[in-house]
Amino acid sequence: MLKDYHCNINHIRNFSIIAHIDHGKSTIADRLLEYTGTIPEREKKEQILDDMDLERERGITIKSKAVRLYYHSKDGKEYILNLIDTPGHVDFYYEVSRSLAACEGALLIIDASQGVQAQTLSNIHLAVKNNLKIIPIINKIDLANANPEKVIQELKNIPELKEEKVILASAKEGIGTSDIFEAIVNRIPPPSGKPNLPLRALIFDSVYNSYKGTIVYIKMVDGIIKPGMVIQTMSTKKNYEVTEIGIFRPKMQPIKTLTAGEVGYLIAGFKNIKDIRVGDTITDTVNPAQKILSGYKKVTPLVFCSIYPIDNKEYENLKIALEKLKLNDSSIFSEPETSQALGFGFRCGFLGLLHMEIVQERLEREYNINLIATAPSVMYKITKKNGGIIEISNPTAFPSKMEIEKIEEPYVKASIITPSQYIGVIMDLVQEKRGFFKNMEYIDEKIAKLDYDLPLNEIILDFFDKLKSRSSGYASLDYELKGYQVAELVKVDILVNHEFVDALSFIVHKVKAYQQARKIVEKLKEIIPRQLYEVPIQASIEQKVIARETIKALKKDVLAKCYGGDITRKRKLLEKQKAGKKRMKKIGRVEIPQEAFLGILKID
Amino acid sequence: MNLGLYLHFPFCKSKCHYCDFNSYPLKNDDQVLSYISALYKEIAMYAQKLNHSTIKTIYLGGGTPTMLSGDLIYNILNFCKDNFKIDDNAEITIEANPGTLDKKKLERLNKAKINRISLGAQSFNDSLLKKLGRIHTAQDIIDSYSKAREAGFNNINMDIMFALPDQTFIDFKNTMKKAVSLKPDHLSLYNLTIEEGTKFLESYKEGKLNLPTEDEEYDMYSWAIKFLAENNFEHYEISNFARPFKRSIHNQIYWYNQPYLGIGAGAYSFIKGYRYMNYKDPVRYIKEINNGKLPLDSGEKLSLRKRMSETIILGLRTKDGINYRKFKVRFKVNIEKLFNQQIYKLINLGLLRKDNYKIQLTKKGLFLANNVFREFVD
Repeated sequence: MLKDYHCNINHIRNFSIIAHIDHGKSTIADRLLEYTGTIPEREKKEQILDDMDLERERGITIKSKAVRLYYHSKDGKEYILNLIDTPGHVDFYYEVSRSLAACEGALLIIDASQGVQAQTLSNIHLAVKNNLKIIPIINKIDLANANPEKVIQELKNIPELKEEKVILASAKEGIGTSDIFEAIVNRIPPPSGKPNLPLRALIFDSVYNSYKGTIVYIKMVDGIIKPGMVIQTMSTKKNYEVTEIGIFRPKMQPIKTLTAGEVGYLIAGFKNIKDIRVGDTITDTVNPAQKILSGYKKVTPLVFCSIYPIDNKEYENLKIALEKLKLNDSSIFSEPETSQALGFGFRCGFLGLLHMEIVQERLEREYNINLIATAPSVMYKITKKNGGIIEISNPTAFPSKMEIEKIEEPYVKASIITPSQYIGVIMDLVQEKRGFFKNMEYIDEKIAKLDYDLPLNEIILDFFDKLKSRSSGYASLDYELKGYQVAELVKVDILVNHEFVDALSFIVHKVKAYQQARKIVEKLKEIIPRQLYEVPIQASIEQKVIARETIKALKKDVLAKCYGGDITRKRKLLEKQKAGKKRMKKIGRVEIPQEAFLGILKID
Repeated sequence: MNLGLYLHFPFCKSKCHYCDFNSYPLKNDDQVLSYISALYKEIAMYAQKLNHSTIKTIYLGGGTPTMLSGDLIYNILNFCKDNFKIDDNAEITIEANPGTLDKKKLERLNKAKINRISLGAQSFNDSLLKKLGRIHTAQDIIDSYSKAREAGFNNINMDIMFALPDQTFIDFKNTMKKAVSLKPDHLSLYNLTIEEGTKFLESYKEGKLNLPTEDEEYDMYSWAIKFLAENNFEHYEISNFARPFKRSIHNQIYWYNQPYLGIGAGAYSFIKGYRYMNYKDPVRYIKEINNGKLPLDSGEKLSLRKRMSETIILGLRTKDGINYRKFKVRFKVNIEKLFNQQIYKLINLGLLRKDNYKIQLTKKGLFLANNVFREFVD
């Protein structure tokens, strides 16, 4: 089947699969690959496209992939199907949108028991925005609690899907797979590009490979590409010679040409992954295209935190590990930073909270570095009295009140989909989080969609956890950045034994400052062990103390018994305690356990 | 070489809820007999090796060694005398649980030249005793104590525990007053600690153990120190109090980091800078011995640094502290020079005191001794 034939654009279908987390996207992808013999049964691992451990554990796809399948349709013709897998999380909104831009159609997977979720709707909107043909598929119909009738009704209530025929499937049981293939061939249009026009290829992803360097995923829009051609990235205006092109089966397979409509990869001696920007257009330097493909944006991080190695000796390792991760993920931002409390580390920026957690977890798991991450923050815009405007994400850079004219914070447009009985508690929650109500509509009589404008800094702490716990896990959230709004924000500093601890400062809305400060000093009192002397813990704004707790002095710490058999054991115990104390961070005379810096994240 | 000799008997009637010692509920008498015959063999194995040493003290610990018949105890000690050179004035102690002593047994102990009894009293509150998993009452303590006195024992220790679950300050005072009213020669006063592998640890993890706070522990301990001083007890080690001339000679061997030989399952020895341990499990212990081998499980040759460390942390437990001259004679280095930084840091913190001869814990240091010890370990 592995033919390298020159294909007819009318026999190409480019599609992706969009779904809420856990609705079975990866399992559907697996079935499609098996059905077309792209992966022989014996080689298969569960969920073939998710090849990072983390992806498999969390059930989400982090990096998008593209696989070519060959399918013999019932009409007797052979089709090339390019499955472009997309990250399944709101943090990767831009990556998703570029992957979708490479497609003409999308399979929309909905869990037969869970029905339409907030993310389902945003996926639909995104697909419609990219002019994709949507094929709704209700998955997991074999489950005991499946309710396909209800889900069909929910789908019919969505205007964009009113006309669409719904496929019932169980990827696990292999039900509906051939219907899906026929729908892809018959309902998704072929790509519309022209092979004879000047080259335009959309970059929708890139990965770094230590043997081949940077590998770029492209969708051929117009023209032809071959090894030996000198190409240009249109937004960065840099030239490269193409050394290899190919397709994914799902392993990389070099071929001689890629033509308009096809999807594949490109290697062209890119020095640095930063030279490659997802969404950019590649053209031919000999016969350049005039117009760049639309939709390109430079991605900017939304969530920031500082990352420090617990053991300062690990700084170099952390630096190397971050560099390696950035090779594959140009959306990670990092720059060196020094903290009085935590030593040498990095200020990092991420696309969202999940992205941040994934990066932290990969650093710890794949590179074996124990980290301290400070509380996440967002980027604030501060206009100073002298007219200057600064952008800060790090509380330590917050100017004094005297200098500030106004502060703006990022807001998101959030939609929450919830069974109607939770509307009340969710409204209360959003109220607590300073949200502005925008709209409410019913998807059906029991499910409502609530639209809010919410400050991003309220979302990044614990909003999602609270939303889930207050709605017994039923409510779902989706958001995208809306813009900046003026807010009354203050920086709260924490002092331990009268010493300022830079890593514990945080920015918070004025109204919530006291409450938050109180919780944090109480939490620190719990976490910091008694010392040989009394230790005050204070929270202050502009040098004015707003909350205080005192850790009483240690009164008694003595091993009661020590006889013949105890001596070695007791010495070892003391040695262990001493080593434990060495791992603590010393602020002035006070030993503070690592968790104090983490604990601030978990304040309820 | 002078030596302390420790003999371990690893069986009890039942296991107390706080106990992490090497002891097991006794199942049958055969267990005892095969264990004791192994003990004899181990003693015999050391006889040759130690023919130039003098045993200054013997300590029969457990478990509950007084579960053994008077005759067996007598025979074991006689066997020691046949195999080792034992000082005529040796201090010979046996641990006893209330309820395991009667007149006849005490007479045999006397005959065996046992001259010190350490009575596991723990508390004079029956409901706390029950909570600890003890199988005796406060009255049993008084009875055993009186019988021992009647049998002529003039050196009796009582073990008392404090900071027990649900224990109040008043309750602890009552126990102490009761103990002191019996006029024991020595008191060991232990703060309850929750150890691995005990029933208490399980309850603790389940949140079912209502332990006194650190402040309450402090109050109990500091009150006891004062109370015992008023009653003419010398506070000569962190947890130990003695009437004049009644310090435990055997235990001082440990605190002065002097050599000792441990015989029996799980017993530790410290000889010529080696510290080693016998197999804990009595079955394994018996098996090794019956195969003609010393039942050694593990051991280490302590580096000079570790020996100095241990000497300091043990010595600082005592009222005597660390004497510069003795330290220099033993290790050929000047402690003030070697640990200059640590010593001054601790003096500044008010935990340590020095004079022309020695360093010792201050009163504050006594309560926070671990903070002192940690400075002297690596």
